[in-house]
Amino acid sequence: MYYPEPISKLVDSFTKLPGIGPKTAVRLAFFVINMKDDDVLEFANSLVNAKRELTHCSVCGHITDQDPCSICQDDTRNQSVICVVQDPKDVIAMEKMKEFNGKYHVLHGAISPMDGIGPEDINVPDLLNRLKDEEVEELILATNPNIEGEATAMYISRLVKPSGIRTTRIAHGLPVGGDLEYADEVTLSKALEGRRDL
Amino acid sequence: MHIQQLKLKNYRNYGDLDLSFDDKVNLIIGENAQGKTNLMEAIYVLAFSKSHRTPREKELIQWEQEYAKIEGRITKRNQNFPLEIIISTKGKKAKLNRIEQKRLSDYIGALNVVMFAPEDLTLVKGPPQIRRRFIDMELGQIQPRYIYHLGQYQKVLKQRNHLLKQMQRNVKTDPTMLNVLTDQLIEHAATLLERRFVFLELLRKWARPIHHGISRELEELEIKYHATIEVSEDANKEKIETIYLSKFNEIQEKEIERGTTLIGPHRDDLIFFVNNKDVQTFGSQGQQRTTALSIKLAEIDLIYNEVGEYPILLLDDVLSELDDYRQSHLLNTIQGKVQTFVSTTSVDGINHETLKKAELFRVNSGTVVT
Ligand SMILES: Nc1ncnc2c1ncn2[C@@H]1O[C@H](COP(=O)(O)OP(=O)(O)O)[C@@H](O)[C@H]1O
Ligand SMILES: [Mg+2]
Ligand SMILES: [Zn+2]
Repeated sequence: MYYPEPISKLVDSFTKLPGIGPKTAVRLAFFVINMKDDDVLEFANSLVNAKRELTHCSVCGHITDQDPCSICQDDTRNQSVICVVQDPKDVIAMEKMKEFNGKYHVLHGAISPMDGIGPEDINVPDLLNRLKDEEVEELILATNPNIEGEATAMYISRLVKPSGIRTTRIAHGLPVGGDLEYADEVTLSKALEGRRDL
Repeated sequence: MHIQQLKLKNYRNYGDLDLSFDDKVNLIIGENAQGKTNLMEAIYVLAFSKSHRTPREKELIQWEQEYAKIEGRITKRNQNFPLEIIISTKGKKAKLNRIEQKRLSDYIGALNVVMFAPEDLTLVKGPPQIRRRFIDMELGQIQPRYIYHLGQYQKVLKQRNHLLKQMQRNVKTDPTMLNVLTDQLIEHAATLLERRFVFLELLRKWARPIHHGISRELEELEIKYHATIEVSEDANKEKIETIYLSKFNEIQEKEIERGTTLIGPHRDDLIFFVNNKDVQTFGSQGQQRTTALSIKLAEIDLIYNEVGEYPILLLDDVLSELDDYRQSHLLNTIQGKVQTFVSTTSVDGINHETLKKAELFRVNSGTVVT
């Protein structure tokens, strides 16, 4: 099946999104063509602006439109606890829960030798620098409860241990082998309560 | 337990099949290459979500088709439930009670199956991976949790081997990450080993008397677990972990040099002895057969004792491989209590009572006539 060039380009773009196969991409592309001009324009602008105006916080790595991010700038938050997560979506999940009042550090991934990802390829060096500069007493390691997330938590814990900073790992209620972002808020807050020393 | 009904759609050479079975013996008769093994395989796949013949799942889909479906209605402990496996070019789905099970360990174990096919005779003669697969499958179907640990172990092993390769080539030198992965590996390795030891003790208990019987009381069977560490079988998990840890420390340099994990359950083996002689090396063909048969028959009792119900027995083309004495021993064991599927090209020379009462299914290029 051949489409006019503009459509096949749009289809190509849609297939770059996660979870979208060729069939859905074609459906979405034809849907866009039938949308109102204004809506299409707004859609396109949102895409461009989201990308242009958002950066990663230079302190914690979270996505933000100001640097440092609002969480890092907030002096009322507990400065002595940092919760380490794999993904910005995890920060958003934790914030929704409104139980955690410390700071965050976003790794953007987990250590995985088979994917060629080592500690220096995720945000670990920045974390170690933060621990030198800031007055941190506890690190909560909230990486995903699968093999890679667990290994990453253990790795960080071993690097940090000599400094005397307490490292804990969230434990209970999380579906083993699952991704943190799928955990609902109740299980997440239970997980936080039941954290254990590493 | 037994399978009441089996429906196949686009499965190998079956386009559309719907069969109801006898809860005792079902005799499947047909010339070669008509679909007898395919039918047995379908029941096996329904239990394990994997074929015993091939690791390539697409082979199970009928040529030119997009998907294959196996549906079964199972009776177990007076309950009746459907199982379903759908294999498509995109992947595989397993449904228990119509609900998709994302984790294999939540599916396997619902239906227990013991299969005995000519290639099972290589259980004794063949390479170690055949015996490891045997332990993993059989232990997995009575203890789904084992499958979970096995899966985790294999994932960590893969990560660890990649890291060791990188260290071998000096791409990475950080020993902390290796230690982390070693600890992760040990945790699952020790669990696997501990459970294998328990399973092995059960297997011995049931296999020895059977072997003694089949060999007309002439042979004593012994099964040894050959591990890559020195450990006694009654060691608990902590003890096993300690032994692994010191061994891993001892061989760390060698592992980096070789770029791979050198010890662990993925390198273990079983050794069978008959009258104190290693059957693999010194046993006659008859002894090797008797051993394989004893192990398979032992599983029937073992599963009955662990699960509370007899498994389904699939005897694919093996009756002709066994002499009269072994044949009748086999058929006496199952008599009346185990739902059994027997496939053969001809009923000539099969005189046993059990088979005379069997329900007949004639297979001819993907169609079945009852
Ligand atoms: N994916 C498939 N699609 C269609 N036919 C298949 C497929 N795989 C195997 N077959 C056919 O199935 C037959 C083999 O069936 P099988 O059950 O092994 O025979 P037997 O009755 O000897 O046990 C062969 O004719 C083969 O061509
Ligand atoms: Mg066959
Ligand atoms: Zn920040």
